[in-house]
Amino acid sequence: MRVLIQLRPSPDVVAAVAAPGLTATTADVTGELPGVALDHSYAPVALPRAHPASGGDPLSLNQPLNFSMAPEEASVLVRGEISDDETSTRMALLPGRHSGVVAVYADPVIETSLTCGGTPPVGTWQDVERLLAVPELQAEGYDGHDVALAICDTGINSAHITRALGRSFTIDARRSWNPSGVSGAAGRFPVDHGTMCAFDALIAAPKASILDVPVLLSRRQGDTVMDGLLSDAIAAFAHLRTVLDDQPAATRSLVVSNSWGSFSPSWDLAPGQPGNYSDNAAHPFNIIVGSLERAGADILFAAGNCGTECKDRRCAFPSRPIVGANSHPQVLSIGGVDTNGVRVGYSSQGPGRLSDRKPDVCSYTHFAGSGAFGAGTPDSGTSAACPVAAGLVAAIRTRWPASVISPAQLRTLLHRTADDRSDVGFDYDYGYGIADTAGLLASLKRRTARTAAV
Amino acid sequence: MGAMVLVTVRLPAGATLEEALRRLGLTEDDADTAYGLVPLDPEQGLYALRVTEDAGRRVGQAGGGGPFADPPIEPYGPPS
Repeated sequence: MRVLIQLRPSPDVVAAVAAPGLTATTADVTGELPGVALDHSYAPVALPRAHPASGGDPLSLNQPLNFSMAPEEASVLVRGEISDDETSTRMALLPGRHSGVVAVYADPVIETSLTCGGTPPVGTWQDVERLLAVPELQAEGYDGHDVALAICDTGINSAHITRALGRSFTIDARRSWNPSGVSGAAGRFPVDHGTMCAFDALIAAPKASILDVPVLLSRRQGDTVMDGLLSDAIAAFAHLRTVLDDQPAATRSLVVSNSWGSFSPSWDLAPGQPGNYSDNAAHPFNIIVGSLERAGADILFAAGNCGTECKDRRCAFPSRPIVGANSHPQVLSIGGVDTNGVRVGYSSQGPGRLSDRKPDVCSYTHFAGSGAFGAGTPDSGTSAACPVAAGLVAAIRTRWPASVISPAQLRTLLHRTADDRSDVGFDYDYGYGIADTAGLLASLKRRTARTAAV
Repeated sequence: MGAMVLVTVRLPAGATLEEALRRLGLTEDDADTAYGLVPLDPEQGLYALRVTEDAGRRVGQAGGGGPFADPPIEPYGPPS
């Protein structure tokens, strides 16, 4: 979290900061502060002291005031960052533990045009292709060839994608799967959300074998809030386990993209009850997610569209909206940024419910892409960011199967090489940062060199 | 079929729905037979099945796994 720290250094330092002709730096004002990454690019600012104009209550600001810039009275503001893990503790303890610190304040982001649900597209899918360094990926053989990439969604319309992409791709009908009661052939479903997801996954992994898993088409109806569809996702993941088990152990690769989740606690049992889903690692779906990951699958979930600045109107969790498997410790939870690298206002923030450090990383969304929702309507939501990231993971898997880099190791690699947007590592807005192709490729090259040297 | 929940059961590899129902003391009328018996964790011999709320309660009272919620899931986009 970015913070402003109010300090009271010696009067000569205050005078230097306040003097128009002098340039004082953060290092002139203060030494290191424990747990604070000071922003040395920020020029310290002198802050006047307020006095009641007519000798009234010295602590009230609701009266006429005079302001003093006298060096003995004024203070100085510097800027820094505190890890999200301990923001409240450090903000509370710093003034007492460090004699020069008067107070610590939040320094919220101020923006004039945050990307929200109704915002027009920000850039195009070709911009995303450039940001993902797809030509560089392909030059090194990372194109998703022979990698199974499952799109668990509303079904895929391959004709629409071929038209929108301007190239053909592979639907793997043999390994695709329908829930019980859902008819329709892989790649021939109506154009909808799943078509958008498949298009976005193909940006970085054009040669991947796409498995069409229309898990969201099922509608098992029931009478109470206990009835629903998560059971179909369990069945889908059980099918994907057979896909993985059928592959030779040495070359296993399966990437599973999930741009869906649960919006409301009213359809679940309350947290703390043994049958609850949102907060319960022992729920059958959370069990099978862990089991599939342990068998070698890279599983990605959208973080959700319940960001504080412009949440989806369906969001009903009062806090911590990254719930259930979307917050599972063994998945990549994907937040959304626009093509300017700025978090979209609807991208859900952590902490997650099953594991604290969510989202893991961000990827691109809200760009002109598939046209699945009509011309001019962006591929949006963390729904788009998730398959964009899944495509990048599938591209990496072209040369690095799960037997060589396990899903856990690949998650760590993505964390470590992400483009950090906060300067202090993990934060609840961006996770570890934006998944970064250049960082990934550089790290994999170093790994190749180390392996060759052994 | 009325309200349904999820329950879990531990069985040897290759188990059938019939064996699961027998182990849990349930009948076919208690279960979503179209859904069947789904392996959750083959290494641990853990399976899931969909059963009526009443059957789920009975399984839970007998010390079995569940009942667990089976909530709706929805696409995360486009944001509205």
